[in-house]
Amino acid sequence: MVDKSILLDNKKFTVGTFTDSDKLLHAVETLRKKEVKIFDCYTPFPVHHLDHALGYTRTNLTIGAFLCGMLGTLSGFTLAYSMNVVDWPMIIGGKPQDINVFTSFIPVIFELTILFTAFGMVIMFFARNRMIHGIKEDLLDRRQTDDHLLLAIDNSEEQSLSNDEIQSILINEGAVKVKGNVESFNTSLTTEEDLEIVIGNNEGAAVIN
Amino acid sequence: MGHHTITEVRQEKFDFSGRIKLIPILLFVVGAILAGVGAMQAKKSWDAPRAEVTNAVNDHSAEANNHETQEAHTDHHQTLTDTHGGSAVLSDAHAEENHAEVAHTETHVSSEHAEAHGNHHEATYMTRVWANLLLNSYYFWLFAVSALFFIAVNYVANAGWAVMLKRIMEAQSSYLLVGSILLFTILFLGRDTLYHWVNYFDGSAAGNPQDPGYDTILESKHWLLNNSSIFFFIPFVLIIWYLVRTKLRRNSIAEDETPGLDMFKNSTRWSAGFIFFFAFSFSALSWLIIMSLDAHWYSTMFSVYNFAISFVSGLSVMMLILQYLKSKGYMEMVSDEVVHDLGKFMFAFCVFWGYIFLGQWLLIWYTNLPEETVYFQARLNSHFKPLFFINLFMCFLIPFLTLMMRGAKRSPKVLLAAALTILVGHWVDMYLLIMPGTVGNKADLGLLEIGTTMAFAGIFIYTVLHSLSKANLYPLNHPYLLESANHDVGV
Repeated sequence: MVDKSILLDNKKFTVGTFTDSDKLLHAVETLRKKEVKIFDCYTPFPVHHLDHALGYTRTNLTIGAFLCGMLGTLSGFTLAYSMNVVDWPMIIGGKPQDINVFTSFIPVIFELTILFTAFGMVIMFFARNRMIHGIKEDLLDRRQTDDHLLLAIDNSEEQSLSNDEIQSILINEGAVKVKGNVESFNTSLTTEEDLEIVIGNNEGAAVIN
Repeated sequence: MGHHTITEVRQEKFDFSGRIKLIPILLFVVGAILAGVGAMQAKKSWDAPRAEVTNAVNDHSAEANNHETQEAHTDHHQTLTDTHGGSAVLSDAHAEENHAEVAHTETHVSSEHAEAHGNHHEATYMTRVWANLLLNSYYFWLFAVSALFFIAVNYVANAGWAVMLKRIMEAQSSYLLVGSILLFTILFLGRDTLYHWVNYFDGSAAGNPQDPGYDTILESKHWLLNNSSIFFFIPFVLIIWYLVRTKLRRNSIAEDETPGLDMFKNSTRWSAGFIFFFAFSFSALSWLIIMSLDAHWYSTMFSVYNFAISFVSGLSVMMLILQYLKSKGYMEMVSDEVVHDLGKFMFAFCVFWGYIFLGQWLLIWYTNLPEETVYFQARLNSHFKPLFFINLFMCFLIPFLTLMMRGAKRSPKVLLAAALTILVGHWVDMYLLIMPGTVGNKADLGLLEIGTTMAFAGIFIYTVLHSLSKANLYPLNHPYLLESANHDVGV
């Protein structure tokens, strides 16, 4: 996965706004074919194959999940074994107190495997995406969380095409709105500041709020 | 999505040519010859003593144990604790507790009929032949049943992803007629040899509490285990299933000619009714055909267990047929996404089988009641022990760890290997369900087993490929055909 922060502070973006996921996907493909570096796309819902089109490789989260599961399996076994065999053997149903009661460990092992996998996945997912508690939610456009899809290009990056050419490609690809110099804002601002930026960000767009 | 949306499905037809026909025919002929040779060998070697059989418990001795005195029960119980719990020393230490537990059994088994089943006829080599025929006729029949069930489920769930595979399922379910006839014939002709309850109810002890051979457990099951169940109930269920299958197939073929939703709606209604009927009838059939081989045994999980075997092996067969067709250049419009989803189904139902297996095993192991543990005693504390673990590995652990990876569910080679592992594993599973209760400690794996399986595989493959060649490979006017062709879950 491309290593980058989701914190958009101090960066200026060229932003194309789309209302159709297919058009966004096609725009991404066209731009990447012309070797334009795309910063990221912001969509309110998952768009199939967008990750592939952006050139992201498949996540390694599944391997992490498997390792977490194995850890859970080991913990479950250790827990059950140390309690039922080593630490405090108890006779239940006339069963012996050694490894032969493995059958009774299976539910414990099963549950802990699932618990470790689930928690591990959630923690790893948030950590990998740097979605730490208290983080500022940076937005380029209010409606990226509603029904608009954004394609953001970092202006400070070297591009093969000029900014005007990129903007005209975005328009040709069906962007409903293209802006050349967008700064991010975050939702922790006060209502007045917020509204100001929102209005500033959405000049000419339909009334928001 | 978006890019290459398929708007038209190119129609194909499977060509069941002479050369392909030769394979199942050869399989059948060679299998039949091998089975014949195997049967002769079994006949010759039947009376020779088996060296390695030491503490094997077959159904008869298990029953004998069941009907001995309380003292004998305790011994029996100790062996069980030994098997399932481990330390024999510990069992001795708790012999008193065991006594208390075992006393419970006495409510079911009166101690007076110690020689109750002494009049049992011994297992002969013919028992082994019949048991093999039953095993394979039931196992291959399950593939057809699960395919029919899968069609019905897809209709009722309004599922679109598998529509491209619908003709494979239909072809697979076409074995239902042949399979049902074979299964019923074998049940009918082999019932005296296979089911000891048939002998019991034909004998003098049945319905006569004064008789020393009177068996309370069998009497309590007489409402299900009786001749009219075999003569009437089984054919009744088989005929209904066959009628549903014929109806769904005819609708599907007619749909190719007539666009519209009429056939789809009609099939959905039939499917809903079928699933309702299937739930009851499949349970009853699995009790009657397989569980009653160990007629004294109880398990409420048994029909679910049979369903799990049926579904996962049916999906594996579907995968094999799909990969075969793909390797022959057919069905290229079936995308990796659909194959991936079928792989997910295989994976999921491997886990389901493991879960059901554990559900049955765990409760029996915990409660440790002799009348329940005797079933695993015969399978785990005998020469069936290696097969018991092979079964667990091949049906659960190996496919679980293999199919877990995403790449595995998209790789034809891995899928083939996994499907074959599952199929062989469940053959062993069926072997363990059937053999200990019929052939007992004389059961063996030899030419007879291999030959019978090959012969049945020949019949199955011929029927399925024949049916496959009879219709287009894609259901042309199915409302979800394009959804299936464009199927994409985006991972």
